[in-house]
Amino acid sequence: MRSGAPSLELLRGLAAQQGVEPSDEDLEAAAGFLRVLLAQLRDLEALIPPEVEP
Amino acid sequence: MTLAALVRSLRARELSPREAVSGCLVRIEELDPALNAFISVRAEEALAEAEALERTDARGPLHGVPVGIKDVIDVAGARTTAASAILADNVAARDADAVAALRRAGAVVVGKLNTHEFAFGATTTSPHFGPARNPWDTERICGGSSGGSGAAVAAGLVPGALGTDTGGSIRIPASFCGVTGLRPSTGRVSNRGVVPVAWSFDTVGPIARSAEDCALLLDALAPGAASTRGLAGDAAGLRVGVVGALFEGGIDPDVAAVAREAVRELAGAGAAVEEVEIPLLEEAGAIQQAMMLPEAAAAHLPWLRTRLEDYGADVRTRLLAGLFLPPTTYVTGMRARRVFRAGLAEVLRDVDLLACPQMPVAPPRIGEDTVTIDGVEVPYRLSFIRFNSPWSLAGVPAVSVPCGFVRGLPVGLALVGRPFEEATVLQAAHAFQQVTSWHEQRPLLPPPSGSYSPAERGD
Repeated sequence: MRSGAPSLELLRGLAAQQGVEPSDEDLEAAAGFLRVLLAQLRDLEALIPPEVEP
Repeated sequence: MTLAALVRSLRARELSPREAVSGCLVRIEELDPALNAFISVRAEEALAEAEALERTDARGPLHGVPVGIKDVIDVAGARTTAASAILADNVAARDADAVAALRRAGAVVVGKLNTHEFAFGATTTSPHFGPARNPWDTERICGGSSGGSGAAVAAGLVPGALGTDTGGSIRIPASFCGVTGLRPSTGRVSNRGVVPVAWSFDTVGPIARSAEDCALLLDALAPGAASTRGLAGDAAGLRVGVVGALFEGGIDPDVAAVAREAVRELAGAGAAVEEVEIPLLEEAGAIQQAMMLPEAAAAHLPWLRTRLEDYGADVRTRLLAGLFLPPTTYVTGMRARRVFRAGLAEVLRDVDLLACPQMPVAPPRIGEDTVTIDGVEVPYRLSFIRFNSPWSLAGVPAVSVPCGFVRGLPVGLALVGRPFEEATVLQAAHAFQQVTSWHEQRPLLPPPSGSYSPAERGD
């Protein structure tokens, strides 16, 4: 997922593992949503001191 | 009539519970077809309950006060649809704790209020139950997800309502509808009997016309959290930190100017005002999303498996995004939340409250997915996250108070306090409302033909 949006095949597999069967249209919409958020979260990781626990 | 004024009339027996309830029901019948604030109305039950109150000696602090309840909160015997197809026929067996608390105080539930589907969005435009319309301009959204609550109070259909707030869902409609809405501290009010969005952030709270009204409702929901006795006086002695970053960039300059003027008015009421910086402010939205999305997906997992096609497209997309986030993102979110809370606590050692614009824009038109800020088109959904998520993430109390208008549409000022210091937040909001009249402004709507006389309404 580091290159941006996850592939639809990957998302379809993740959904299947959890018993969910989205359409291609659903997967594309979710992938678009994740593209922005995953980039933000990667940047966030660098801002948390390593000693901070959940 | 404000909720506080109605309480005084009922206590003085100038108005009976039945008259108060029937007045609301008449107004709902007349105006709600144009607003769609209500999903269901309990007319017969509410009138019967009001009559029963008249036969008892017990007189709680909200004796005979009509209220509306967001339709993700259970009312025994009524449907809790969450504005969804999935729960369209779901009848609650018992009251949510928050509803039971209001009833113990003497309130009468007149109906269930429209919401964004499953309270998971900020437009209140359910594809299943239709959009709630903003009383200031019925072509515009009310915000959300407690949009029906904001619209119903603004239009005078009820003097007070319950909403829920996960990432702004009480404060956003309060701002867009020109009313007062309090998100209490996370955990202050019981969530039992409420359809969850994300357990770590979900909070039940009041929407009404004034801070005094919200204090009355909160005192019933969480006795001891706040009371109207604590509202006396001005803002003298309060130290208010102005979150300067939220007045610049990513906000309609006209909205920012109105909020700036509101801060000056708060200073005029006696508050000591200084600019502050909040560490990780710009990251707070992503941190909340990292936790909220997986929690929502987990809450909905049984329906994602069996009823996926029954969700509206926007809610389905967000739930699936939560399903697909790597597990490490949730842990990252928890760790980052800890850092954010520590930084905010440092700031709140030096000031009692924070002040900032509640929303970056005036309410957009129904169906518009984008807003234009400083000539740049941005998704509406992304525009408001930095104004709302920080305080949800910290779990602190935050109130939105009406503070002016832009192009005829309401603007809200957010006042944010330390954890479990709702009383301070409401004191500041009340002090602001003692020196301003924005909360008394009303949308242009047909006059009611209910049982209130003009004098009783306070018009």
